[in-house]
This record gives sequence, structure tokens and C-alpha cells, in this order.
Amino acid sequence: MSWEKELEEKVSREKLSENLGGKDRIKKQHDAGLYTIRERIDILTDKSSFNEVGKLAGHAIYNENNDLIDFKGSNFIFGKAKIDGRNIIVGGDDFTLRGGSADASIKEKHLKCEQMALSLQLPLIRIVEGSGGGGSVKTIETSGRANVPEVEGWNFVVESMGTIPRVALGLGSVAGLGAAHLACSHYSVVVKEKSAVFVAGPPVVEQIGQKLSKNELGGYEIQLKSGAVDDAVDTEEEAFKAAKKFLSYLPNSVYQLSDQIISKDDPKRTSEWLIEAIPKNIKSVYKIRPIIKDLVDKGSFFEIGKEYGKSIVTGFCRLNGWPIALMASDPYSYGGCWTSDTCKKVQKFVDLAETFHLPVIYLVDCPGFQVGLDAEKKGTIKEGVRAMSAIWQTTTPWMSIIIRNCFGVAGAAHKRGSSYISRFAWPSARWGSLPLEGGIEAAYRSDIENANDPKLELQKITTRLNKLRSPLRSAESFLIEEIIDPRHTRRIMCEFADLSAPLRKTGITKRTMRP
Amino acid sequence: MIYSEVSGTISEILVSHDQIVEKETDLLIIECMKMLIPVTTKNRGKIINIYVKEKDIINEGDKLIDMNYDI
Repeated sequence: MSWEKELEEKVSREKLSENLGGKDRIKKQHDAGLYTIRERIDILTDKSSFNEVGKLAGHAIYNENNDLIDFKGSNFIFGKAKIDGRNIIVGGDDFTLRGGSADASIKEKHLKCEQMALSLQLPLIRIVEGSGGGGSVKTIETSGRANVPEVEGWNFVVESMGTIPRVALGLGSVAGLGAAHLACSHYSVVVKEKSAVFVAGPPVVEQIGQKLSKNELGGYEIQLKSGAVDDAVDTEEEAFKAAKKFLSYLPNSVYQLSDQIISKDDPKRTSEWLIEAIPKNIKSVYKIRPIIKDLVDKGSFFEIGKEYGKSIVTGFCRLNGWPIALMASDPYSYGGCWTSDTCKKVQKFVDLAETFHLPVIYLVDCPGFQVGLDAEKKGTIKEGVRAMSAIWQTTTPWMSIIIRNCFGVAGAAHKRGSSYISRFAWPSARWGSLPLEGGIEAAYRSDIENANDPKLELQKITTRLNKLRSPLRSAESFLIEEIIDPRHTRRIMCEFADLSAPLRKTGITKRTMRP
Repeated sequence: MIYSEVSGTISEILVSHDQIVEKETDLLIIECMKMLIPVTTKNRGKIINIYVKEKDIINEGDKLIDMNYDI
């Protein structure tokens, strides 16, 4: 007596499941320059590490004798796998079967995938294409009745955002629930020219009078700028690489801490050029990314959301091998002023650092919030106070280095008032309630207007006030703790990383409501 | 097409029609929040069209310069 026959049938059904939507559909997928879901998982994960769950779940056709004629797997495939030797959960849509929609899905697989990642406290990578298990217009006919809208399992999604790293890869057209899965992640990536993301695609949007191509409606440039997606790369392989790199800085869950790796970069390395990195002409801008790349462990900077809220550069890096969340102002965008989008970017990034217990370093050059009609229309002050609150609510170790401007309320958000932070300034730092350049005419209006030579009076006042602007004058009153030599900044940042490592605490982040 | 990523005033135009420029050349300067922000080309190319002139007030997303990169 043996169970070989039953096992043979199981293997036979699994093989049928590997056929996905059939040869024609697979060819169509390949012709579009896209991989199938099985190929994607194969490339993403370590060799032979994928243990699929529910490969036998699908839609079977039987003859009158109840013998199996054909079998198609569900169009959502998931399981446990390894990337770079580390356990993860991966799940993805099979676009070759009804475009990944609910018609060819078994919704419990989606739920189990989410529940499995959350319960095993492992990072989740969702590969999204199509409607991500959402319904289609034809659903009403296949089910014989209309659904009352419900997203079952969204509780797992919400809970896991505060518990495990979630990465979403949008590898084709992504709409409806698929777009929701892409947006509900700590890090999302799409492929340029291949992916498009929208709540509803062009045929639906045409009904409201907007005739747009996929790219015009939800191409990568639109979604990066809107902040709905974090990054775009040229190929699917690069998307997998980005997902791995992102996860390499994070623990498996909030109940663990990220590890230190061996760094070959000397933590005491000095950089001579940093003494002249900030131009003396205060109207001139400089490139922040070369400064960041020089300060962190070589090759370790991983930027997130480059095209969104560009006045702040955000990303992960390593210092003496420790993972750090790094923010830095970019004067090329609004002189470093915080726009409404910048404030939203800060909120998300600070929350990400706090959730996964990464210490934060902020290189500050913030002349304030963006001003003007555009800024008011976009509710900059509202998003601004939310960003400030996000910073105030952090408990993770925090370091700020003021490298140039630090003005106004947005400037004050370089630190939290609630607990200790490490703070330093470069000699190029300048600060105050308002930049002098913006306020002298208003603050000294009567002096200037009543002077015999108003221009000369303005110049005199400016010269007088400029003498007070030196950061050393502020240091006299201990308003700034230390002025440092920019060339030695890396050593100070690495010391911060070393000191912060034992202070990190595991657990779920709790916070109260923001404004 | 190169669009403005900020709102501000065109402070200076550094290139002219039909000029061939190398990658990372500054094309024009926008005064924004009292800072002088250069707009740079990522690639080598020829200036096809300049949509702005000095002292123009521009908004985020406005067309600045069109270039042909196939030269």
C-alpha cells in the first residue's frame, strides 16, 4: 500500500498550475517586455528557496465522471522565500489570468499571505500587476450579484504597516486594489515606460471626458512627483535589486533591531573638500548628494523618493556599518524651503525611522517654509505642523547638523523639543526667526523711509545686523552646542551611530493624533 | 522638454537657440526664495526652443527649454 498515486496527482495538478494563463497569455506578457509572476519570484528570491503556499488552489474543470480535465491555478501566488539568505514572504499577481483580477482569484490566498507575513514577523514583498485581486466589471456576471464594497484583510495591511517592512513592486499596469497595495507600503518601485498606476485606467477615465494614454494618466513621472510611488527603475531586475537593498537596512519586524555590518570605510576618515562645500555667496546653491555620499560609509546611501518633495533628500545609509535614516536639505529645490509635499515626505520618512528604530541624522539647510500664494493654496502650514509633530513624536536617537540656513518655524523642526538630541553646526550656519534678507525692509521700514538716503540706511542696517549673524555669537550664549570643522563631520556622525545603537528599543510605535 | 521644478523669476538665460551644450551645463538661472537656482541639462544636446525670457515670472511645471538630444 502506498500513497504514490495520490502524490502523482498532486504533482500533476501543481504542474498545471505552473502553466499560468496558458501559452498565448504568457507570450503576450513576454512580448510586452514583462516577466510572468513565477519568473519574477524566481529572479527575486534565492535559488530554490521559494516554498509556495496554496499551489493546489485554483479553478478545476471536471468531466461527468468527476475526473479532472483541466486546472488553472489562482492568479495570486505566494509563499515563503529567502533573499540574500534572509526569510521573507513574497506574493504576486498573475496578470496572464484575467489581469490579476478577482474573477480568477481566491481571495483567501491574499488574506493568508498578509496574515502569514504579519504572524511570522517577516518582511513582505508584494509584486503587483493588474487589479491586485480587485473586482472587474465582469465580476457582477461571474458572481451573479453585485458586491457591497469591502476589502477583506485590510486589517492585516494596516497592522503590518506598523509591524513588518512592506515593499511593493508595480510591474505593469496597476489599478484599483492593486494601486492600493502599491501605495500601502513602506517602499514602492515601478519600472519606467512599463508600469502605470491609477485608481482607474484610461477606458474608465475617458467616461469623465479625459482621453489619456496609460502613461499620461499614471506613468512613472506622474506617480513619483505625486508621491504615490517612491522610485522608478529601468528594468524589473533593478526593481528586485532596489527591494533587496531597501530591506537590507531594516529588521524583520519592529520586534527586532537592524544589524551592524562590517564597514571597510574608516569612521575617522576626513574630507578636505567639505571646508569649501558651502558657497560663501548666500544666494548660491550647492549639490547636497555628493556631501551625503562622502559622509556615509562608501556606497551605502540609498535614496528614497528622489522626485517627491524635493527640498528634502531622504534615504538610508550606514555609518560605521550601522543603518541610519538620513535627511538632508536640497537648496536646488526652493532653496531648501519646506513645501507642502516636503512636509508630507518628512512625515512618512520620520515615521519609517521611528517604526523600525533607525536613528535619524538631519543635515539642515532650511530657510523656512515655502512662502507665497502657491504655498498657501497647498496648505503648507497644515502639513508643516504635521511634519513638526512627527519629529516631536520620535523617540529614536536624533542628530542634527546645521550646515547653512535654519530659519523660522520650519527651521525649528530640526530638533524635537521633547527629549535630547545631538546637535552641531558648521561655520557656514546661519539662523534666526527670519532671514535678514527677507525682513530688514519690513522691520526697519520707518527708519529707512525717514532717512535722507534710504538706500544707504538699508545698507547700514544690513551691515550692522550681519555682524550679529556669526554662529560664534550664538555659541557664546550656548544657543548652539558645538561648531565643528566640516572636514571631521563623518567621525562625529559615526560616533553618533555607535552611541545610538544600544539605545534603540524594540516594539510597536505608539503616538497620539497629529494636527 | 525641460520644465521648471520651482516657481520664481527667470534671473538669467545662459544659452541661445541652436547652441549645442554638453551634459550638466547650466542653461538658465531661476531666482526662487531669494536663491539663484541653475537649471541644468542631464544630457548633451542642441537648444531647440527657449520659452522664457529674463525677468519672466514662472510657475512650477512651466515649459523652459526644449532640446534635441539626437545630435
